[in-house]
Amino acid sequence: MSKQETLIRLQDVTVRYSKGTEALREVSLSVEKGEFVFVVGCSGSGKSTFIKTLLGEVPVSSGNIIVSQKRLDKLKRKELPYYRRTLGVVFQEFRLLEDRNVYENVALAQRVIGVENERMKRNVSIMLEMVGLAQKSKAYPKELSGGEQQRVAIARAMVNRPGILLADEPTGNLDPENSWEIMGLLDEMNKLGTTVVVVTHNNEIVNRMQKRVITLNNGNLIKDEAQGGYVQ
Amino acid sequence: MKTFQYGLKQGIKSIWQNRLFSLAAIGTIAICLFLLGLFYAIISNFEHMVYNAESSVGVTVFFDAGISQEQIDQIGREIRAYKTVDKVTYVSAEEAWKKFQKEMNAEGGELEDTFGEENPLKDSASYEVYLTDVSNQENIVRAIQDIDGVRKVNSSNTVADGLSSFNALIAYISATIILLLILVSVFLISSAVAAGIRVRKDEISIMQYIGATETFVKMPFIIEGIFIGMIGAVVPLVVFWFVYEKLIDFILTHFSALSQWLTFVGASEEFRVLIPMSLLVGVGIGFAGSAMSVRKHLVR
Repeated sequence: MSKQETLIRLQDVTVRYSKGTEALREVSLSVEKGEFVFVVGCSGSGKSTFIKTLLGEVPVSSGNIIVSQKRLDKLKRKELPYYRRTLGVVFQEFRLLEDRNVYENVALAQRVIGVENERMKRNVSIMLEMVGLAQKSKAYPKELSGGEQQRVAIARAMVNRPGILLADEPTGNLDPENSWEIMGLLDEMNKLGTTVVVVTHNNEIVNRMQKRVITLNNGNLIKDEAQGGYVQ
Repeated sequence: MKTFQYGLKQGIKSIWQNRLFSLAAIGTIAICLFLLGLFYAIISNFEHMVYNAESSVGVTVFFDAGISQEQIDQIGREIRAYKTVDKVTYVSAEEAWKKFQKEMNAEGGELEDTFGEENPLKDSASYEVYLTDVSNQENIVRAIQDIDGVRKVNSSNTVADGLSSFNALIAYISATIILLLILVSVFLISSAVAAGIRVRKDEISIMQYIGATETFVKMPFIIEGIFIGMIGAVVPLVVFWFVYEKLIDFILTHFSALSQWLTFVGASEEFRVLIPMSLLVGVGIGFAGSAMSVRKHLVR
């Protein structure tokens, strides 16, 4: 049995906003390489802050976070972009560029890191094939369904082959059928070796997928189950 | 290089997307640089005229009575040694008398009858000294007066001072107006770039999430500003190119009475300074405006 590698480690992490609100309170957890983890909780539980903290968008007030062996509180401003390249991120509202087609939206992630044109074309094509949108590479976001738009977002998040995929309510704007398609896709990415962290409040999905579930409530980690469920 | 290419493409795209703001900024820079060019043309031409006038404003140096030619030559050498002395012409007593006679005879005088062969100006040999810069005239006059054998130095401070002060006044006024216009231009470019940043807020945020460096994010906006500045600089240069010589012709034709004073700098000489100066100021304004905006609106 191979030794497990910890990709994400939070030690007594507290995040306090300027108004004094504590969004996370002394949260400690670790996520191993190749895990699929749901982070659940009701509105205001600290789920979004958890994702923002992992993205280096919100600084921790105390404690420390280590992601891919990098301490985020020691990260210099110049190092942040390079750190973010080790993550893929998917949002509830897709956040695609409306004035660019599917290919260009996915290619943007490659352009940002300076990939050569030929390699970029190859990588984007492979990724679009994986998410089932190879035929729609010239379509614009407005011409796609919500599910398809989220698949483009996943392709963009994964095209640079990050080790970790963070998804913030990825099914929040989708109907059940499309939600399952997206969860299936995330599961597929996980099976290919990517560590997936999904923040959601969709209990149906969480309960059926039988993955690890971390429950936050009022900024506190109240439950961490290897094959858990979620009751709202 | 790829970042620059991407920045160039996005920068030009942004100018087009915010064409109203861009147009306003280009227009203001064009006006600013047109005035800069206009003032420069006025100042350089005025300086040219002043230089011509200065060359005709001479200082006359008279010598002590009975001084030898050798001493006069020595005084000449000492005067020529000053850096600001442009030209020194010796006028002998005979030449001075002939010149005087000529001027008087022109008005119907009878000097020859009165003096015959005698030269009443036999102690009026002199040097006519022309300076490169009339503002320095007072110092030179004082220095020449101290030379042994110099009896008297005639100069006209009023003309010299007047010309210098007027030139300085024009330079100060135009510098103030240009500075104000540059500030307005920087502000307008900054607004145009800020509009571009607002329009592309989502894109910027996505780029930052997927690991774009600050340079990658900022580059299109900096290029946008520089481009606006450059276009704003080229427009007045083109206008000047077509108008400059026609304007000089117009002035010379319609103010022929002043043609003795009106001497202009040639177009090629004028543009040798105007083109790099305008482009540099345009690009500088563009860079400053966009950098200001990027700094203000693109803080992570």
